[in-house]
Amino acid sequence: MEFGTTLLKTILVPVDGSHASMDALALACLLAKRNKGKVYAVYVIEVARTLPLDAGLNPEAQEGEKILARADEVADSLDYAVTGELLQARDAGHAIVDEAIERDVDAIVVGIEYRRPLGELQMGLTAQYMLRNVPCQVIICRSAAGGGGA
Amino acid sequence: MYIIVVGGGKVGYYLAKELVEEGHEVLVMEKDPVKAERIAEELGDISLRGDGCEASIMEMAGFGRADMVIAVTGDDEDNLVVCQVAKAKFNVPRAVARINNPKNEEIFKKLGIDTTVSATAAILAQIEQELPTHPLIPLLTLKGGGLEIVEVKVPENSAVVGKRISDILLPQQSLIALIVDEDGVPRVPKSDTVVRAGDELMAVTRTENEDALRSVLTAHATFGPYGPIDSQGR
Amino acid sequence: MGCGRVGADLAATLDQEGHEVTVLDANPDAFRRLRPEFGGQRHVGTGIDQDVLARIGVGEADAFVAVTQGDNRNVMAAQMAKHIFGVPRVVCRIYDPIREEIYHGLGLETISPTKVGARLIKEALEREPVTRGGGE
Repeated sequence: MEFGTTLLKTILVPVDGSHASMDALALACLLAKRNKGKVYAVYVIEVARTLPLDAGLNPEAQEGEKILARADEVADSLDYAVTGELLQARDAGHAIVDEAIERDVDAIVVGIEYRRPLGELQMGLTAQYMLRNVPCQVIICRSAAGGGGA
Repeated sequence: MYIIVVGGGKVGYYLAKELVEEGHEVLVMEKDPVKAERIAEELGDISLRGDGCEASIMEMAGFGRADMVIAVTGDDEDNLVVCQVAKAKFNVPRAVARINNPKNEEIFKKLGIDTTVSATAAILAQIEQELPTHPLIPLLTLKGGGLEIVEVKVPENSAVVGKRISDILLPQQSLIALIVDEDGVPRVPKSDTVVRAGDELMAVTRTENEDALRSVLTAHATFGPYGPIDSQGR
Repeated sequence: MGCGRVGADLAATLDQEGHEVTVLDANPDAFRRLRPEFGGQRHVGTGIDQDVLARIGVGEADAFVAVTQGDNRNVMAAQMAKHIFGVPRVVCRIYDPIREEIYHGLGLETISPTKVGARLIKEALEREPVTRGGGE
């Protein structure tokens, strides 16, 4: 009997610089490595509507490059290589779902922080949107309680 | 162009889709959370939940760089305010408003809203077109011969008013078969029957001469769309 | 236009002072806020309909006040009274301070209870405390 997770080859990981997203990336690397797959690390620059979508956003792009470089390091430490992608969009959730469909990935691994401001675990809007709308498998990697900040 | 559509009902939704297809950058704003969610499902990230009359949200939505704002909510007062604030505060070059009460066109115009669109007025115009005050209603197509029976109400200012049937130059293979006057009395016209304004004429004509017949019977006495009647075909 | 607390109170006061007052509200239940001795006219209808405004005689009015709960409704009715019916005095309530500023800039006589309220409260805080009995 085959399980979906054992067959995952191409995996997309949204990275935002948080510890949780890097955790998710590490997990994706381990999974893809087993199946000789490929991992896309995706950083989305959200463009305010006061600006055109293709506006030149240098500081934001530099920040993105920095985070993708960290993703490279994480993969490196696991003796693996990821493909970094910098996207510019109105909304990160939409952009990631579109990208997952475009790349026809087998799974998204998404990292979420352990936050319970109202007594219940809160998931960010972006993660919620992906969970509801992406056609492929979604693996949620929640960081340990009390662990890791951004 | 960057076009902001305020109101995510059916009008806003289909409008946005068309505009996207035409290659414009589009944003749809809807304040009702349920409607906003539905439209976000369909249109993705070109929708924004929020009140299109709230200046801070308008700012965030990028009204400052919008080339056009189209307000299509179901409430005329909201459409008015969206357009007025867009123009006064954000200097949006063009503002278009949907109006539900056709009478509101006057106040919108007075307040500087360039363009108003009223479905109610459009439908009324259509209905008026269908009424026999407007020329030539095809009644029946006769089998085979390419002939049809048409009805036309003679307008007040028509060039044929006061003329005798024999003096009216009809297109080829056309004839006036029946006249019903304003009191509803039908008469078979003779050559010396005089046509009066408001008469309803039933005529037989060839399909291809329909337009010519229309112009003969309805063209204005002096400056009708087809010129003076006497120049027709002479 | 608008028979809420403010509308009803204003109508009663003007009526008492001997003015001829007409109250318009879309909801007939709203008129219960008027005191029984109110001697003016009551009309049910929406103030953003030109026909309604004409019917209740806005064309002959010396003043028109828009105090419904809807800022946009007030703005539209006030502008109709001013620009279509030529009412000499038109006052319009707009809760949203930003919208209020915009329409003030467009030449409308506007009042933002939000802004006025905040200012009054601030002034009260800055004043020496009144010892006892002073409502204001």
